[in-house]
Amino acid sequence: MTNLKTRWIIFASLLALAVISYSITIKLKIRPSPQVQKTYDYIENLPESSAIVVSFDHEASSLPEIKPITQVILRHAFRNNIRIIGMSLFAEGTAIGYSMLTRTAGEFGKSYGQDYAFLGFKPQHISAILGMGESMRGVFPEDYLGTPIDSIPLMRHIDNYDSIAMVISIADGDRAVQWIEYAGARYNQKILAGLTAAMITTYDPYLNSGQLFSVVGGLKGAAEYEMLYGQPGSGSRGLLAQSMAHIFIIALIIIGNVIYFKGRAGKKGRG
Amino acid sequence: MRVKIPLAICFLSGAIMFIQYFSRHPLAKAVYNGILDWWQIIFAFTLFVGVAAFIKSGLKSVSWSKARPSTGRKTDAPYKAISLVGLALMPILALAGGTKFGSPFLWVFDNMQAPMQSTVFSLLAFFVASASFRGFRARTIPATILLISALFVLLGRIPVADYFTESLAKATFWIQDYPSMAARRAILIGIGLGSMTTALRVILGIERTYLRGER
Repeated sequence: MTNLKTRWIIFASLLALAVISYSITIKLKIRPSPQVQKTYDYIENLPESSAIVVSFDHEASSLPEIKPITQVILRHAFRNNIRIIGMSLFAEGTAIGYSMLTRTAGEFGKSYGQDYAFLGFKPQHISAILGMGESMRGVFPEDYLGTPIDSIPLMRHIDNYDSIAMVISIADGDRAVQWIEYAGARYNQKILAGLTAAMITTYDPYLNSGQLFSVVGGLKGAAEYEMLYGQPGSGSRGLLAQSMAHIFIIALIIIGNVIYFKGRAGKKGRG
Repeated sequence: MRVKIPLAICFLSGAIMFIQYFSRHPLAKAVYNGILDWWQIIFAFTLFVGVAAFIKSGLKSVSWSKARPSTGRKTDAPYKAISLVGLALMPILALAGGTKFGSPFLWVFDNMQAPMQSTVFSLLAFFVASASFRGFRARTIPATILLISALFVLLGRIPVADYFTESLAKATFWIQDYPSMAARRAILIGIGLGSMTTALRVILGIERTYLRGER
């Protein structure tokens, strides 16, 4: 079989597998990991009206994996009447964050300015993170829509990390590391990260040392959180497709190696 | 003078940032806040430079003068043209209709840019699948160890693993918590020490490559 043919078979099989497993409903056995449980418990036990910062530090490309994590965390926070301050350290995350925050707030009848606000994007993430530790209104004199920050009721009594219970960085790269290194190390701010599955191991040392409070990672993390929240969403739905793709890749690795060793044995036999 | 002034600025900036970290004096705080503001301003200007450079290179590719001499065709011209149209369109939409929920700007972002980017990124899964079949071979002992670890982690990261055995999840956590973490910590500590050394070299004027510029 030619290389090209093999490639097309692999591509077609993966596509078929993903489409089928996304279309059918199989209830997977989902057990919350300690990290997801810790995050859920923390938000669940936050006093009403506490303020948290949710930073949308990702691009549109990772949305299928990032969106379920963000949605379920936002829903949980809104359900518990926690006030949310949205922002972004990635230009692309700005529109995504504003859109997602506004939609989710709408589900719970929350009003802009009272229950949530979106500050928008700031370039140069390190100076923005450090600057927020001194004065949030210094870094964001206006919100995303151009409203002066002092005329937003939610922001009137919030000026730095002292009034923020937790910063949640929703990241598809290492932007959450900067939150840990600058907001966490210098201002003792509690940091939580919502991450793509591929990035989880990057954060393990920070998690293990306690510098990172907790992690909700990938579709699995989203599905676990949705289970705790009590409302299955896109995380649970996408998890089966992702699981099937994992199994498919494992099968391909095994088949590839079987073929390789058979070929090598054949060569040795002939030689 | 062309060397001494930048070196003095660099030394002063580095020294001030270092000292202010340990000081609670109002003056140190004021200097720190001032530097943070300047940092933001300088970075904002670099964004303008980036956009200008993108427009310049895009226009060059689209213009006829850049046509390939052999064929007279410009292979990337249509893509560059689309990028330039996109670059012009988004600010126009934002200025004309705002960036509020339900605005044309947000509609284009939600319904065009986000799905297109997600689509391109999802293609990665197909290449990973193909590469795992063709390239992930147990040729040597280290490659075999890597492969077995990868199989454990791949399987352990999905809930389907729970249907097999609980020890699989334990093995996955062990791989992540010990060998993987040890390697990562070593790399991170190495990066940290390297960054500190480089920073000190730059502040003290030992490392001067940044002064050379374009020749």
